[in-house]
Amino acid sequence: MADKHVYLSQSWRDDALKRLQTELTPEKMNHVTTSMSNIYKNCPDGEEHFLFIECDDGKVTRVETGTGEPPQGVFRIIGSYETFARISRAELGAQKALMTGKLKLKGNLAKALRLAAVSDRLNKVLAQIPTQY
Amino acid sequence: MPRILDPNDKYYIDNPGRVQAIQAEMHKRGIDVYLGSRIRTMSFVMDAFCPWRSYLIIPPEGQPTYFTFVVDSMRVADETWLDEDNVRAYGPMGGMDQTSAITDFIKEELGITKGRIGYEDGVSTWTAEGNLSHWEYTHFKDALPGFEWINAHDIIDGLSIIKDKGTIERFRTASLIVDEGHKAARAALENGGYKGMTETVIAGIAALAMRKAGSVSEWNFAGLNEISSGYRTGLGACTPPTTKEIQAGDPLMLDFHSMFKLALGDHSHNYLIGPVTKRQRWHADNFVAIIQTVLDNYRAGTTPGTLAAIMMDFAESRGCGDFIQPACEHGIGLFGDEWRIGAVVNPDLPYWTDQDHVYAENEMVVCAMQYAAPEENIGFRYENDIVIVKGGCEVLSKYPLGIEEIS
Repeated sequence: MADKHVYLSQSWRDDALKRLQTELTPEKMNHVTTSMSNIYKNCPDGEEHFLFIECDDGKVTRVETGTGEPPQGVFRIIGSYETFARISRAELGAQKALMTGKLKLKGNLAKALRLAAVSDRLNKVLAQIPTQY
Repeated sequence: MPRILDPNDKYYIDNPGRVQAIQAEMHKRGIDVYLGSRIRTMSFVMDAFCPWRSYLIIPPEGQPTYFTFVVDSMRVADETWLDEDNVRAYGPMGGMDQTSAITDFIKEELGITKGRIGYEDGVSTWTAEGNLSHWEYTHFKDALPGFEWINAHDIIDGLSIIKDKGTIERFRTASLIVDEGHKAARAALENGGYKGMTETVIAGIAALAMRKAGSVSEWNFAGLNEISSGYRTGLGACTPPTTKEIQAGDPLMLDFHSMFKLALGDHSHNYLIGPVTKRQRWHADNFVAIIQTVLDNYRAGTTPGTLAAIMMDFAESRGCGDFIQPACEHGIGLFGDEWRIGAVVNPDLPYWTDQDHVYAENEMVVCAMQYAAPEENIGFRYENDIVIVKGGCEVLSKYPLGIEEIS
């Protein structure tokens, strides 16, 4: 248990940035420049959390976690803590969560769909982080 | 990549100017945001082919934003003049369904959370008009509680009546393309070529010729290229082609449709397949004379009611009043606009052609007449795009008027 990061904690964020930068090359990320904020509703601590990820030319340049208003991103994905946790545990696909309305996307859908595969790659890396939910 | 508008192009339409004209009218009426849903609205503003259920959100100033089903948004973005970020999509995802995508955009991206919203409601004879459905209206309204909903389709209808130069040029080209279809059909039918030929085949021969000439669609919702032969010519004004073979002694009606840059070519031409009876010839001569009379009377300042009366009086004078349908035109504009004449909703007969509408220069209609004697297994149809000018009209299909006998 000791080597697990608390989900969305500072240490989880640090590990996430490190893994994303190491494992996802600009080529794998299709050299995209974009950003997204995941908004976590119904968190165990009663607060609303966020996860913000920014990419510049395919390189993950920024990962932020916190409470309250997230940094402005190109896309915003809103869902319950439990839904995001299930996605991170690879129990639920992000696409399915969106297609069943468990997650809500805000932003330009046409652009978002072009990033679907990139988003999956991000999620797969994040799913590898030893996490305590 | 969005299309670059070139004012030197003979088919140029000042699309940003159209939006500004709509916004000026919105301002006059105190409308804070306009939610368009009809195909004709998409064509008029987007200047692109928008066949899927779409919504156009026009703010008080600046570019509109277009939403369509996600499968088609990239193509539309490639063909319209709007900036890429102003072409959006809705789809089966949380937050991206039609209601969420449209209402969130108005509230969150435009920042308009209350006021008056213009929308499009009404009725049409053709299925695909695109008025807001009851489901859409109810759900959009629930998601936008601070808004007063104003049926405002007449803004677009009024602004689209008079055709600009580029639009008329598009219709001229679309009509000449239709003529290529008629030439190909004529060549295929003559010298016994009609023998064994079905209505569907002649429709396809014309379609190929028109496609070769640059048409992108046989656009017509009522059967693409409409064909009728024999008794079917007397059945009225909607004849999707069948596998019926064209026979000696048949009347034959060919109603071809082309689309060029959203302009809709539409011309019907009729034949008599020999041997021809005297009675058939009499009907045919009546119809040609009626068409010529109506065309001779179009001009700025006249009205649909006047033209219909002239037509009926003339038909009566020739003893064929029983066979002519009592109307001689329908509206026409860019794809999706092929319904009533005028922009006024007459309270006594809403959403039908305003019989007192006064034609102005550079209005367009499809001169459309139907002659039907079903008991005699004969009928004819005439359709042709025309532009109203000061002292007359410009007939856009140049295929010679007449009902020829071929064998």
